[in-house]
Amino acid sequence: MSDHQHTTQGTTHGAAHGAAVDSYQLELSRWNAGRNALALAALIGIIGCLVGYASNPEHFFLSYTVAFAYTTFIGLGAFFFVMVQYLTGSAWSVTMRRIMENLMMTLPIGLLLFVPIIIGMKYIYPWMNPQVVAASEALRAKSGFLSQNFFILRGVVYFALWSLWVGSIYRQSTKQDAERSIRQMHIASKWSAPGLFLAVVVGSLAAFDWLMSLEPTWYSTIFGLVTLAGGSLSFFSVLTLVCLGFRKVGVLKNTITQEHYHDLGKWMFTLTAFYTYVAFSQYMLIWYANLPEETIWYRHRMMGDWLPVSLAMPFLRFLIPFFVLLCRGAKRSLGVITFIAIWSLVVEYIDLYWVVMPVRYKAGPEFHLFWLDLSALLTTVSICGLMFWSRFRAHKMIPVGDLRLEQSLHFENA
Amino acid sequence: MTPEHFSEQLPEQLREQLGLGPDKVYAVIGEFSEPEDLVAAGRRIRQMGYTKLDAMSPFPVHGIDDAIGVPSSRLGWIVIFFSVLGALTALGLIYWVGVVSYPLVIGGKPLFDFSYSIPVTFELTILFTAFATFLGMWGINGLPRLYHPSFNYSQFHRASDDRFLLVIEAADPKFDPKASAEHLRGVGASSVEVVEG
Repeated sequence: MSDHQHTTQGTTHGAAHGAAVDSYQLELSRWNAGRNALALAALIGIIGCLVGYASNPEHFFLSYTVAFAYTTFIGLGAFFFVMVQYLTGSAWSVTMRRIMENLMMTLPIGLLLFVPIIIGMKYIYPWMNPQVVAASEALRAKSGFLSQNFFILRGVVYFALWSLWVGSIYRQSTKQDAERSIRQMHIASKWSAPGLFLAVVVGSLAAFDWLMSLEPTWYSTIFGLVTLAGGSLSFFSVLTLVCLGFRKVGVLKNTITQEHYHDLGKWMFTLTAFYTYVAFSQYMLIWYANLPEETIWYRHRMMGDWLPVSLAMPFLRFLIPFFVLLCRGAKRSLGVITFIAIWSLVVEYIDLYWVVMPVRYKAGPEFHLFWLDLSALLTTVSICGLMFWSRFRAHKMIPVGDLRLEQSLHFENA
Repeated sequence: MTPEHFSEQLPEQLREQLGLGPDKVYAVIGEFSEPEDLVAAGRRIRQMGYTKLDAMSPFPVHGIDDAIGVPSSRLGWIVIFFSVLGALTALGLIYWVGVVSYPLVIGGKPLFDFSYSIPVTFELTILFTAFATFLGMWGINGLPRLYHPSFNYSQFHRASDDRFLLVIEAADPKFDPKASAEHLRGVGASSVEVVEG
């Protein structure tokens, strides 16, 4: 029952209950294969982006805004939920926490991914156009906040703060691999409490800056939460798919068990409901108040071919994933949660596309430019993917020094 | 010495009053001192072909449901029925009030619309669900109940302290007081008793 001292010695574990042994270090050949695939994807994406930039910069920068928001808010979701694990002292998540942390470590590269946004600001944001600002009293009043320099400064500050926090938490986590002390857990918790503020409040500001200011006269206080909820759902979807991908090639197969996948299913279910709750709150209050400066945002999304997309949203975002995941058996089925994880990631992209694109295209989605949207997405996803993957080279795949590891390995849902 | 038929030592009249006797056997019950032993024993007893088993423990024991073959609860079906009923009740109420009973245009809004009906629908769904879950659980468990035959097991109080009880109910088609008690001893149970009541 208790040979904890032995089981935390090397890179292997499993003697305690006769469980099979997993290696906690990714093999170099696998690591190289993953890096090469991601580097190739990044190369293809960047070439696509360059061609897009040269041929159609107006569309390219909007595509890029969608792709940039997609990966950044996944990183923020990871940031938030890693801190939640530390603050709640969760045992169930310990075997997956390093993978969560590696996803969180994609945030710092966001500063580099922010550069094209800076370059393309005048294509992306209407408030960059002096004529548009001069014509609107509201925009003249907002010009102190929505100005080029302040926008860039804010973006840099957001990434600087996030990078400081994720770096500090990650350092404690990896330090614990060797030191196996409770001290690192305490320090990480101390960073985590104020870090929640950085993830949610500063994350909201980031959503206001990068996405809401696309329609600069429109405002919704809950918009940041809607975006963060979508990012968090995507984060759990990515986490599920990464773990299942490892499982498929036999990595961490006995470490991340069906019980852990069951909990990931619960989180995807919960966040599906939470996203719906906040997104519907935004819609209903605007619908009910019926004020022109607020309803215009939904009005734009009811014009032309955007209407079917808007009408599909309740089904894509809520009805289908909610009822698919409702039963306990569904959350425990690896097939079902794979389907829901892929579904949620696709729908998150459609959602962000639906947030960004109607600003420029009033009549509906521009499907013939979809190659450009995909190139931008491929670029940000593969660059963040490389950052994520690079962490597996130097560090263990699970926090081997965590004091709750043994508990997590044998965790079962009641 | 623990008597297998505790009631045999009692006068006939008292037995009748207490509802005891060899003809009113509820189950055989045995105890274990470790939760792992309970799970292992439960699994072996079930493999012998018993279907009506129960376990009592001071805290939830992982894996016991699977080991003694507890069927999945009917509660989920009761709950989903009342959830849907709650949603339909709310929508029906809002529709009936707004369109049929007292049509009144407020703030230029339609007489009925899903947009403003959702909050009430959501709340009423939650309310119905909560009541259905709570009362359904009580109903399925036969609560409130002040008496249960397993109280007659002499070590029963220890099931809320430091012992893990395995129960083979008399309702089991394979049940036989002597043989089942032997089976329980065979898988390592101590203080095996035939419990009446």
